[in-house]
Amino acid sequence: MYSKIILALGLIFCTTLHAHEMTPTYPKLVPSYVDDVYVAKMKLFNRRDDVEYYEIGVFTKDWKALPFASSSRIIKVSFSRRKLFEVYIRSVDLPKAMYICTESKVYKSTKQVTLVSSRICSKIEQDE
Amino acid sequence: MIKRLATAILLMSASSALAVDSPIQGQVQSKCSVWTETAGVYGHPLPYKLTTTPADGGVKASIRIDVAQADYYKAKFTHPNSFSSSPALNDAVAWTGSTVVGQVSVAGMSAYEAAKVTYNNVTEFNLTLAGSTWFTVESTAQYGSTKSLPAGNYTALIKAECIAK
Repeated sequence: MYSKIILALGLIFCTTLHAHEMTPTYPKLVPSYVDDVYVAKMKLFNRRDDVEYYEIGVFTKDWKALPFASSSRIIKVSFSRRKLFEVYIRSVDLPKAMYICTESKVYKSTKQVTLVSSRICSKIEQDE
Repeated sequence: MIKRLATAILLMSASSALAVDSPIQGQVQSKCSVWTETAGVYGHPLPYKLTTTPADGGVKASIRIDVAQADYYKAKFTHPNSFSSSPALNDAVAWTGSTVVGQVSVAGMSAYEAAKVTYNNVTEFNLTLAGSTWFTVESTAQYGSTKSLPAGNYTALIKAECIAK
């Protein structure tokens, strides 16, 4: 009886959950079609119905931003959709690049009192 | 005779149908998911105070982090130290807050609380086990010494991060 109630409550609460996912955890940079530019292929899954836009960033181990190129710095990912995106990094920046991150962007005009911004960072696999 | 033959043919065809495999393939990747379960609500128990404490009419924020593989990620929570939007404020706001481990899917995750690292308004947890961990974030803002907060809409931002190790 109790297990059914817990299951029912779980289902009710699960419907209001929102999630942000990004893979792979350890992306590998491979040479791109442009000389001296490397590329990592990433996948973002948006299960946050309160978020539509995510910002891509590339950082050093000290969290300093590094230049990179992608289809767009801020990407639109609709609710319950996956987005494949590529991050291009110059070979000169390669030894310094450590993290590729995506951060949810929240609307300024929201009426919510507190907001949760989520950020997921993958660590670039460095060749020994 | 015909009936027996029909039964035999049926059995043969049925047994050949059982031999057909229909594989379902799947792959579990190491990944981290940040689930925002409750965004949190500020209660307004005193004219100069906004707080998420339930006893003061607030609701604490609850964020769940799922990791598929052990020891691949660390979680980092930043509780607010400013309003992201508010009416014009001409006095200082004193901010306090904390992040604690709530529910856990694996008993060993309870140790995250003792091992957490706190600095400024940031709390870091080393996610050494696979599974789900719920984190509860509290925030309180106190205006001036005891000045009344101007009327208007206030919004503050909690940042939840999952960083590959």
